[in-house]
Amino acid sequence: MSGTLTIQQAGHSVVTDLGRFKGSRYGLPVNGALDQFSARAANILAGNLDNDPLIEVTALDFRMRADADLLIAVTGAPLTFTVGGRKCPQWEPVSVLAGETVVLRGMNTGLRSYVAVHGALDAPMLLGSCAPDTVVGFGLKLSEGTVLGARKTVPPIRQPYFDLPLFRLGLSRPGTSDSPVIDVTDGPDVAEFGDTADLLFNTSYTVSGRSNHIGLRLGGTLPERQSTAEVLSRGVPVGAIEVPSREELLVLHRGRGVTAGYPVLAVVTSRSLDVLAQARPGDTIRFRKVTVAEATAGHRAAMRELEALRTSVNTVFGLLGVGAPASWRELKPASGS
Amino acid sequence: MNAATPVEVYESGDAALRVVANSPDRERNWAAVHALAAWLETADVDGLHGAVPTYDSVLVEFDPYVTSARQIRAFVLLGMRQLDYVGAPARLPRQFDVPVVYGGEYGPDLQKVADHEGLSVAEIIALHTAKSYVIRCLGAPAGSPMMDGPDFPLPVPRLKDPRLSVPAGAVSVAGRQAVIAPASAPGGWCVIGQTPLTVLNPDKQPLVPYMPGDLLRFHELPAAEFQRFAGLELAASA
Repeated sequence: MSGTLTIQQAGHSVVTDLGRFKGSRYGLPVNGALDQFSARAANILAGNLDNDPLIEVTALDFRMRADADLLIAVTGAPLTFTVGGRKCPQWEPVSVLAGETVVLRGMNTGLRSYVAVHGALDAPMLLGSCAPDTVVGFGLKLSEGTVLGARKTVPPIRQPYFDLPLFRLGLSRPGTSDSPVIDVTDGPDVAEFGDTADLLFNTSYTVSGRSNHIGLRLGGTLPERQSTAEVLSRGVPVGAIEVPSREELLVLHRGRGVTAGYPVLAVVTSRSLDVLAQARPGDTIRFRKVTVAEATAGHRAAMRELEALRTSVNTVFGLLGVGAPASWRELKPASGS
Repeated sequence: MNAATPVEVYESGDAALRVVANSPDRERNWAAVHALAAWLETADVDGLHGAVPTYDSVLVEFDPYVTSARQIRAFVLLGMRQLDYVGAPARLPRQFDVPVVYGGEYGPDLQKVADHEGLSVAEIIALHTAKSYVIRCLGAPAGSPMMDGPDFPLPVPRLKDPRLSVPAGAVSVAGRQAVIAPASAPGGWCVIGQTPLTVLNPDKQPLVPYMPGDLLRFHELPAAEFQRFAGLELAASA
């Protein structure tokens, strides 16, 4: 059975997934959820595949009404999350009854939250992904009144003890900070910056308001390119740090154009790209150098955490019959109470 | 049989490698990186996302959870040896003809480029329309056809202050490169004209009609004719 939900206050929100991985050979950026860990976690907690379409909410308050019984999970930046006026935990599955309103408000640290709906959302696809591409003009940007189709409904899972959270799956959430340390590896063109390359690690940088999903602009003491030879356009990775002007450092994120003609000073690790996705204008950033091996190990550790979470969710959902044919059920109070 | 084209592989973060072909022959380097990208595409390796070939290099992107830079590097080197035996698949290039209105509101930097080159505006247009260009790669934004530039005397400097928005169809030059913008995007290249043709169609796959290796030629169009072509889609000439 499928259901719908209606957006009542969109703020700045889109339907996205992990990205358009097959787009780069056609000159399209990968795009997709900027905080990949939070997006994956939301989908796993909702019993979905990591890559299923979900809602990315940036900065502003968001409100939607469930038109059917749903199971959802909210991750990412900390905020006040209520369902039908009840305060609910982030980073846990939450049951929503038909007609109830889901509110995300008061995002004060971090910049992006994710709302996954069990059964995933319907969204138009381009090259195998629903991730919006602002340059091509593709994607589902939400506005007041947008009706989203959820592919499955979940009968309400009732918690007999009023104030106890329904689930406690215990994923360690990434912390948010207004002065994060960002891990980077040496870029392929680090030699072009000579001795000035180390400035990157001796300075703190301030996130500019002109930052977006394409790239973050950072003010601070800038390394300087020592050579003036012409650079042919080359493919640049997500996370590439460039110095295109004398004013700002540019850190490319998932909306970056796939090619550029600037030397790549350093590359932000996959793990730290998620941290940057939560950086707000005015936040102060410091960079720390790591090896590719260390970066890979960090990323794999995070992915293993998500694998463990998936196992727990599968077990719990299996016991509850989530995903099974619709039927009303009540959880028995624990024995001895 | 030629020896394999020499390549160097550079770390580019934990999820990508940059492979640079560094033989003295530019054409060979270009052919080698595109052949490698195509080979990687067909190899369909677990964890390999894709490859972005440009002029002399290819960016190989992968999932560092499933595979690693070390494994992908070994696989790339294997590919280069394989290609040495089988060669790149040959494909007949198609020709694309692109009408362009030069200067004025359509090409705000035309005069500046002429001044920089020490040529007249008419000479710049004549050089830009003089020959067919090989589309070297699809780049940013949105699958732009990146081409070797016209035979200007000097490389064209990029704008000191990049524009926040350049319209779709803008025809630009920078360094020794030429390009058309399929979609509106920020840009730091000198815009010398604009084509009324629609280059990008998000409802089609691929979104742009050309591929690396195809040929593209510009033709001057009087400004009065712009509307007559507006909205027509760019297609290969018969």
